Amino acid sequence: MRLRRFLPLAFLLGLGLGAQDPALKDTFLQAKALWATQGDRENATTRFEQVVGALAPRAATLDPAWTQVLCESYNWLAVLDDRGAQTKARAQGRLQALIDLDPDFEVDRALTSQRLTALFERLRAERYAPVRLAYAPEGGTLTVDGRAGAPLGRRFLPFGTHKLVYSRPGYAPAEEILDLTASGGGRSAEFKLTRVSSAVTLYVQPSGAEVFLDGRSLGRTAGHAGEEAAPLAAPLGLRPEDLSGAFVIGELSPGKHQLELRAPCHRTRVLEMGADLATPFADHILEPIRLEASRGTLSVSSAWPGGELFLSGQSRGPLPVAQLPVCSGTYDLLVRFPAGGFSQRITIAEGKALALEARPKPRIAFLGMEGEVDFTGRSRLLAQLEALGGRLHQLAYLPARPGEAPKDALARVRTSREAELILLATPIQDRVIHRVELLVATLEGEEERLVVKPLEEDPLGPLAARLDAMPSLREPGLGLSLLDVPGEPGPWVLSASEAARKAGIQVGKPLLQLDGKPVSSVAALRRALEGAKATVTLSQGGAPVALPVQAEALEIPVGASNLCHPAVLAHLRLLQAGAQGDEAGLVRLNMGLALMHAHRYDKAIGQLRDAHLGSAAGVGQGTLDYRTGLCFLHLGSAYRTEAIQAFEQALKYPQATLLGPDGPLIAPLARQALDDLK
Amino acid sequence: MSPASPWSRTPVALLCALPALVQPPVRAQEADLAERLYRSGERAYADKAYKEAVDTWSQLLQSAPRSEFAPRALLALARHQMEVEHKPEAAMPYLDRLKAEHIRAPEAAGGLLLRGILLARQARRPADLKDAMAEFNRVIDLFPDSPAVPEAHHRLGRAWRDQGQWGRALQQFVAAFQTRPDAPVAPKAMLEAAETLDLLDDLPGCLRMLQRVRTQAPQSPEAQEAAWRLALRVKHRLQKPPLANEGPWPAGRAKWLKTPTLLATAPDGDLLIYQSDLDHAFRLHGGELSPAGPAATGARALLASPAGEVWLLSKSGLARESTPAPTPLNGLGAITGAALDRWGALWVADAKTPALSVFGADGASRIVASPTANALAPLPSGGVVIAADADRKLLFLDADGQPRAVVPYGRDLPAPFRYVLALASDGAGQVAVLVDGGDFGEGVLILDPRGALLRQATFKSLGISGRITSLALDRSGGLILCDRRNDLLYRLN
Repeated sequence: MRLRRFLPLAFLLGLGLGAQDPALKDTFLQAKALWATQGDRENATTRFEQVVGALAPRAATLDPAWTQVLCESYNWLAVLDDRGAQTKARAQGRLQALIDLDPDFEVDRALTSQRLTALFERLRAERYAPVRLAYAPEGGTLTVDGRAGAPLGRRFLPFGTHKLVYSRPGYAPAEEILDLTASGGGRSAEFKLTRVSSAVTLYVQPSGAEVFLDGRSLGRTAGHAGEEAAPLAAPLGLRPEDLSGAFVIGELSPGKHQLELRAPCHRTRVLEMGADLATPFADHILEPIRLEASRGTLSVSSAWPGGELFLSGQSRGPLPVAQLPVCSGTYDLLVRFPAGGFSQRITIAEGKALALEARPKPRIAFLGMEGEVDFTGRSRLLAQLEALGGRLHQLAYLPARPGEAPKDALARVRTSREAELILLATPIQDRVIHRVELLVATLEGEEERLVVKPLEEDPLGPLAARLDAMPSLREPGLGLSLLDVPGEPGPWVLSASEAARKAGIQVGKPLLQLDGKPVSSVAALRRALEGAKATVTLSQGGAPVALPVQAEALEIPVGASNLCHPAVLAHLRLLQAGAQGDEAGLVRLNMGLALMHAHRYDKAIGQLRDAHLGSAAGVGQGTLDYRTGLCFLHLGSAYRTEAIQAFEQALKYPQATLLGPDGPLIAPLARQALDDLK
Repeated sequence: MSPASPWSRTPVALLCALPALVQPPVRAQEADLAERLYRSGERAYADKAYKEAVDTWSQLLQSAPRSEFAPRALLALARHQMEVEHKPEAAMPYLDRLKAEHIRAPEAAGGLLLRGILLARQARRPADLKDAMAEFNRVIDLFPDSPAVPEAHHRLGRAWRDQGQWGRALQQFVAAFQTRPDAPVAPKAMLEAAETLDLLDDLPGCLRMLQRVRTQAPQSPEAQEAAWRLALRVKHRLQKPPLANEGPWPAGRAKWLKTPTLLATAPDGDLLIYQSDLDHAFRLHGGELSPAGPAATGARALLASPAGEVWLLSKSGLARESTPAPTPLNGLGAITGAALDRWGALWVADAKTPALSVFGADGASRIVASPTANALAPLPSGGVVIAADADRKLLFLDADGQPRAVVPYGRDLPAPFRYVLALASDGAGQVAVLVDGGDFGEGVLILDPRGALLRQATFKSLGISGRITSLALDRSGGLILCDRRNDLLYRLN
């Protein structure tokens, strides 16, 4: 019967432990149940010993709830051992272990026989002296030899000298030195505190808010309020557990104060505390403080498949992500694609919606430096290479892994395909090493080499600039061919598309104004178009003419020294994955160009042959056909027929150009190529 | 006989292995020495101690002819001969050796290019360009990633252009600036491409390309060149404003010359004026006259060589600054015009000779069949334009002297004229014609490179009443006339 009465307590205790170690908790509860309900002493003993075996080695670090479990397990084991003839002798050892763990623990007298209880008391009295304690006012914290604990009315302390300090917010702490001896018997101590300031108790929703008083952080609220906060929580329609545990501000100096509460994902609250809270000295409990949630929404989409969204390192699921509630604040947004990645620092504003289109960027993996040869500037250069990612905006940078050889790193990257580009540093073996070759290559083999001097001021500056230079495939235009004619006040219209002419543009006259502002040259007009709206207004001196701004197709200047050819290729390969229609054709054309630059004409044909571009003028289908013909020419006479076909096809587009809308016409070039072939 | 002790065999084995043991250090020492010599030469060269540099590099070639620094030294020596000594013929042996012994070295690309440039310079006719073109093609084929490739394309383009193959030339020029858009040669190639497009009758393409030069390389000398070429073409060929007399020029100056009879435009745009009373030509620069070229009495033709040298042709022959005595011109006594072609050959028209005389740079001369020419001017295509009063035709001849266009006197005019007194051309291919006689009377015409009339005016309509003997086109689209009677110049705009 007595055992059954004990079960609810054990159950509650078990609930408290649930979060820490569910398996051990179950074992503990099973042990109690086996003995209490079935009288199964052996199995109960086995399980209690399992609990002791698990907890005893880390007894010094256990929290109070688990210390209680361990103490109870010793108590039960002592009782169980005491009932068996063969195990009886072990009972004393169990009690001794219990005393060593917590001398203030009181054995369960409903469970423990009088004889055992007496044995427990005797063993404890051999090493500990009882101390009776009184506190005024109560509710403070007792510290014994520097260890804080609950202010119990009676404590068992080992023989010797002890320093006891009782403290409470708003009061000056009281101190007692006790010298305990075996012969001295029990002692008592009375703590009477003197008030020195007011104390203010806070309950905050949510728990975990940081509390600032006059701009100084006092710590964070923790845990959850107990039943004592119910009267405060109820008027606000809250339960006590909705609030944090009490947070007490002691030593409140006279005068007004500013209280500030900050919590992640919540709006910061600032409260003014009147001088009457500080003086006269008293304990105050403020009405529970609720911090309003502060969130915005984030939507991320992408035309590229397979993206997964990460916010400051935490996965938020696959794309597309629509209207995702996100705490306001700043985040490092990352979208990982099967190939390439997209990263951006974003700020979510409260109540605002942020929508992003994620385009993957190529990733470049630094493989490390070949060889172990030391040279002046090696560590400096390596540090700069490791930090190169901070200088790149168009590429995601993966630093080298510590201790991994470049060869192994290359094998890893090739297998995992975690990067589209690799970067490898190789010292050039001179008598004295003062040059390092940097290799940038795609996993497909297109490469570029750059030699740097480790001791120059910024050896990686040119590389960073080139890696970051990603040319655009289109530029804003108006369907006009313009010239800077000396003596003319603005860009002179050489020719205009039919639409522009219909809109009112006059060929042979200069443009004077764009959107009401004077425009003096072709370069100035191009700059203005970079930031222009969808439609601009042009003036040639007469009535203004509205023209739509068009995105005109370009051929990338792949051979330009400010571009890193492998990086451009990697960029185009990613673009290709998400491009459709004419955009796909334009990407393919430029991929073909980039491959031609690398003398990979067969691969270039692979890109160009199946590409299609809708436009007949400017960079369009004729450009594709002409480039295809050039590739066939490079492959030799075996492909003469195909080259002829391609050039003949190109001639069907007499307005097609190279480079851009104002580039040279393809027709005379294709005609000459055909003449040479035939 | 007892078996030989292993210890007795060791010295023999060591001796056998000695060459193998010694060779690598020797090679390493040689490479080390070669590098030191090369660097030492480089330092001397940078300090303009050319002799020391040449000696050091020559020493390198003797002591380490197979080292990786040998091709560098050969190329440096060849460049020195060309750029400092101005002895291209002395550069050739170095380049030949570079080609023969180090064709796999990266420096061979630069060497082949230089060799091709030298061969092209030596060429005196289209067929002579074959070897040069082969070298340029070698650069492109053997060293496709070399920085020399754009220049090789550019040179190939010029070679095709000099052979009148405009389409092939355009292909190469486009390849030159597309291979490496920011190569130093790119603006030059774009400029050449623009001119070639004009020759291919694509004026809009030409203008767009000139604009591209200005946009892509705004700070380059080629951008300046493109600016005036573009302005000229737009003005003469597209805008075509009526010619207007700006009056005496420059700045209203009158009676400031001594019987000016001949005008020409120097390659840098300055006006050259031959003053008959002074028997001398003068350069007009910034409003100031300064003597230019040799003295020559009764000069009948004035021209400027590509290097800027002033040449005067008279009965006594060709007078040049560099040659004290006039070079006889096969007794030509009624010279009416002269022009230098791309090969350095001098084309001379004579009013008494029913053919054109061509004097090669090597001294040889030949005759190109043609009607008697009363005036002659060069064309950017490499040919010349001549006026044949007897036939009343203007003939646009190609570089071989074959007529490409024939323009009857008076075509597209309200009334015909009878005589052409002088011809002039500009770098953009426009031709100015000074005419007289007929119902048209005294006046000027401006024609496009194919002979189409662009602008015209009679002196009467312009209010000019002097004796105009020569004319020149300036870079601002103006037409300069010299009036020998009033000792002044007029500018028409």
